[in-house]
Amino acid sequence: MSMKDFTYRLGEFWADFRKETSGLIGLGILALCVVVVLAEPLFLPYSDVNGNWRNISYWEDNPQAAPPAWTNLFAKEKSATTSRYKSPVVTDEDDPEFGAVRVYTFKYGYKFDKAPLDIILRAKGTGMLFMNISIERPDGESVFLGQVYQDGLDGDPIRFAVETDARSAVYEFIRNFASDEAISNSDSSNVKPTDIIFSKAGENMLSAREPLKGEYLVRIKIPASILEDGTNTIEDLRLLVTGRVSGVLGTDTAKRDLYSGIIAGLKWALFIGLVTSVISVLVGVMYGIICAYFGGLTDTLMSFVFEVFVSMPMLPILIVLSAIFKPSIWIIIGSMIVFYWVGPVKTVRSMALQIKEETYIEAAKALGSGKWRIIFKHMAPLLLPYSFANMALSVPGAIVAESSLSLLGLGDPSIITWGQILHDAQLSGATLNGLWWWIVPPGLFIALMGMTFAFLGFAMDKILHPKLRTR
Amino acid sequence: MSIDKNDVILEIKDLKKHFAPHQSLAQTLTGKNRKVVKAVDGISFAIRRGEIFGLIGESGSGKTTTGKLVMKLIDPTSGTIEFNGEDVTKTDKERTKAYRRQVQMIFQDPYASMNPRFKIKDVLEEPLIIHKIPGGHVEHEEMIVKALTEVKLNPPEEFMGRYPHMLSGGQRQRVATARTLILNPLMLVADEPVSMIDLSTRAEILHMMKDVQRDLGLTYLYITHDLSTARYFTDRIAVMYLGRIVEMGDADDVIDHPLHPYTKALIDAVPEPETGKVDVIKELPISGEIPSPANIPPGCRFHTRCPYAKPECSAEAEPELIDVGNGHYQACRRYKEI
Amino acid sequence: MDKLLEVKNLKLYYHTVAGAVRALDDVSFDLKKGETLGLVGESGCGKTTTGVALLKMPSPPGRIEEGSQIILDGRDIMTLSEKEIRKNVRWEEVSMVFQGAMNCLTPVYTIGKQMLETLQEHRDMDRKQAVDLITEYLGLVGLPPEVMGRYPHEMSGGMKQRIVIATALFLKPKLVILDEPTTALDVIVQAQIINLLKKLKKTFDLSFIFITHDLSLEAEVSDRICVMYAGKIAELGTNGQIYGAQGPMHPYTEKLLQATPLLRKKVDSLSYIPGTPPDLIDPPKGCRFHPRCHKVMDKCSREEPPLLEIEPGHMVACWRCGK
Repeated sequence: MSMKDFTYRLGEFWADFRKETSGLIGLGILALCVVVVLAEPLFLPYSDVNGNWRNISYWEDNPQAAPPAWTNLFAKEKSATTSRYKSPVVTDEDDPEFGAVRVYTFKYGYKFDKAPLDIILRAKGTGMLFMNISIERPDGESVFLGQVYQDGLDGDPIRFAVETDARSAVYEFIRNFASDEAISNSDSSNVKPTDIIFSKAGENMLSAREPLKGEYLVRIKIPASILEDGTNTIEDLRLLVTGRVSGVLGTDTAKRDLYSGIIAGLKWALFIGLVTSVISVLVGVMYGIICAYFGGLTDTLMSFVFEVFVSMPMLPILIVLSAIFKPSIWIIIGSMIVFYWVGPVKTVRSMALQIKEETYIEAAKALGSGKWRIIFKHMAPLLLPYSFANMALSVPGAIVAESSLSLLGLGDPSIITWGQILHDAQLSGATLNGLWWWIVPPGLFIALMGMTFAFLGFAMDKILHPKLRTR
Repeated sequence: MSIDKNDVILEIKDLKKHFAPHQSLAQTLTGKNRKVVKAVDGISFAIRRGEIFGLIGESGSGKTTTGKLVMKLIDPTSGTIEFNGEDVTKTDKERTKAYRRQVQMIFQDPYASMNPRFKIKDVLEEPLIIHKIPGGHVEHEEMIVKALTEVKLNPPEEFMGRYPHMLSGGQRQRVATARTLILNPLMLVADEPVSMIDLSTRAEILHMMKDVQRDLGLTYLYITHDLSTARYFTDRIAVMYLGRIVEMGDADDVIDHPLHPYTKALIDAVPEPETGKVDVIKELPISGEIPSPANIPPGCRFHTRCPYAKPECSAEAEPELIDVGNGHYQACRRYKEI
Repeated sequence: MDKLLEVKNLKLYYHTVAGAVRALDDVSFDLKKGETLGLVGESGCGKTTTGVALLKMPSPPGRIEEGSQIILDGRDIMTLSEKEIRKNVRWEEVSMVFQGAMNCLTPVYTIGKQMLETLQEHRDMDRKQAVDLITEYLGLVGLPPEVMGRYPHEMSGGMKQRIVIATALFLKPKLVILDEPTTALDVIVQAQIINLLKKLKKTFDLSFIFITHDLSLEAEVSDRICVMYAGKIAELGTNGQIYGAQGPMHPYTEKLLQATPLLRKKVDSLSYIPGTPPDLIDPPKGCRFHPRCHKVMDKCSREEPPLLEIEPGHMVACWRCGK
């Protein structure tokens, strides 16, 4: 078949395909997926997600089990979102306590009903550093958060988190307003430092909090004497206010951004689905043709082998295989192919039996044509369109099977797949804890991927199948 | 008139083809056998170089199976097929391929005999590729043009780019003939080549085939159910019934002076374009239909339908094909009495 | 003899994207009671289309055009509604044995069940009556009652064709259209079926329209022959006029006969008609046969020849045959 013929047939196919609405929808979604995979960095808020999905410290700045940011739209009390600040305002001041100081100020506008989970300061320092950290509230009160003193730094990261490092300092702040009685009455371990910082000051600030909206200033004071000689430096000072809601799809209990996980999982879903289905359908189609063409004992034996494979339950065996071998994506794909090639065999065999009886096959034999020429030149091209449809239709199965394996904890730990996200959700009891954003999106995406290829497959099947009866 | 050995291009001796019905693995293992279909059951004939030999029979007579056996599309159960003095039933792959270059086949349905996805050019180039005929695309194209000219498809270039479905029935049969001619064969097996072509153009195809035969000195094995075209087209004919030849000889001789009761009945049944027969109920000497080749009657296999059958016809052994002179053979033990 | 059927100016066009295919263009003929009319011609000439048109069931996108008249027993069925046709005409008065109908028997039901269903759809009768009737008709077509319990694949082609014929006669129609009823059958079986049809025609006083491409067969069965070419009647004459010593008048019929191989006579060279039948979307101007005709004149390509009666009962559409 020349190139011109091929483009002509492709054009013909497209003319038919355009009439299939579901097929077009499938194609549209698939095209979108391909764009996302190709331009993945553009879509990933955490660009290093691929290597760091299981690296806990990579995610430590994220809120834990936070719902998606857009849930605020439906909530009566708005939760704080995550904000990041770089390049603080730097001023030199005279401080009554430390004398001349350099002050780094971050401005944070708080306009929510539920306070952020944490306020985190990060920097890189060299030599010896001393920092005094406080926060100035819109009502003029100042909350001392703590001090950081570190020596012998060599570009090492410095991290100060209010949640862990400023607990006692913040309780000191409460004491200015609330009575000892109120403090002892309330279970202070349940109260987050940030809740206090962003609440109106008063007697009841522990039991019945009211948000204090307005502009907060986070001030980091470093005595000028320390920075004077230039050996001690502070760089890359950043402020992160960790929201109660996070990202497009929220986070899981390990603070991982689920949206990044799902985007990163897309390419694996496509890869696993396509590789498995293409290889297994090609194997199955050839197997079916060979069965039909050779017939006789070959057919009987090959059909027997086929039946053995058909009757084997796939999942249990895959579980055993994954348990024996180190779970790797290649082993998983390989073992899925072992079970999936049987899919098209029966249909292809029966179609090939029909084609085999066509006079032009007999004519080719009469001309002296060999077996393989007949198989590849006359039979396979007729069955190829069917196998394309079949490939599309078996993609969802492969994706779901991989997800099932991953859900059972037998996935490849070096990659991110939707099934693994679901597995983690199940382990953490996401359903019981109401973390729906952890379960629904990966499930939906698995279903969507399946639907996309099913739509494509049905449309292709409808168009390409009657072509077998062109005569 | 006996046939000179040197004149014979194809000789078939006691050829048999019995089909065993498809069995499942369990049936094979338990050794249970179903009834064997005796499609061809011991036929012998010789075709002379340059002659048109007709094989006549109803459906189920085994004529098409014989054609396939000659083409080596299926293997015989027993018997030999000698082509130019060499038995081709037990040859190796190389010899078989060489044989296929010399013996080609034209099928009943020319459209079905071409891959619908091939252009005429591809259809005709296929034998050249299969037999690794030296030369590139250009040389092959020249050969294709030559073959198309041979079958009078003019201008050839115009047809090469078309697909089979774009041609008329007659044109397709010409292409099918051209495909067989491109390898310069010695013999063609033609299985009902004109039965699917309209009456008005049937003769045109027959003439073309005859011209080609004369020009290239070909031999034809012409397989048909149609006695009328057989008489017109062939030199000699053999009439088959249930896998056996019942009568054989010069076409005109057999049709004008049939000896076997089956041949007689066959000829009687053929309508002719003559007036005055509308109100006549035709006398048919034989009734019923051809029995199944899986269930062949004992003795003379025609006795169940034969109007002249006597007890000995079913009781005694099957009559052999005997020479009654003039190269006319027939297989009825009572032919002199009837 | 009375006229059973009169067809006047029958036009049936298939309206396709490429244009109207004029499958039947102004066809007129009649049929007397007890007569067999043969329709012959090449494939695509409109023989089968005529048969289907007489049942008023053209296959889509076909449509019988305005002005066509099909007068059956004095009543123009073109004016009847589809419901009336179904109730009173189709199968009741006119039945048809379709080409290849014997291969359309459902393989999963027994012959008896299929025949019963057909019968009970049209006639209100209990099982016993129906079985009796079927047995009677099976006897008429020469089959034993046992075949009712058999499946189609257990029967030979000849037997299946007999079943189909019996089914077509159930409702005692006056006219039976037979479309290539013997094409797929062997020559001996063909002769048996033809004999059977002749007998049945006498028994039931039937009229036949016998459609075939085989001029030899037509000579044996039809009282009158209608030769069609490209959706039009080329020649219509009695059996004697077409096959007699004088021979046909239209060059097409003449050539067709000369192209028919004969069994009992040695023919030196058969004729053939060069070329192929025309495209009916855009048929040739003038006589539709003129591009393939061996007797073509100037006039043939300009004007269409009318169907003229050149001798009693003999109609020819050819400029050569004018009076």
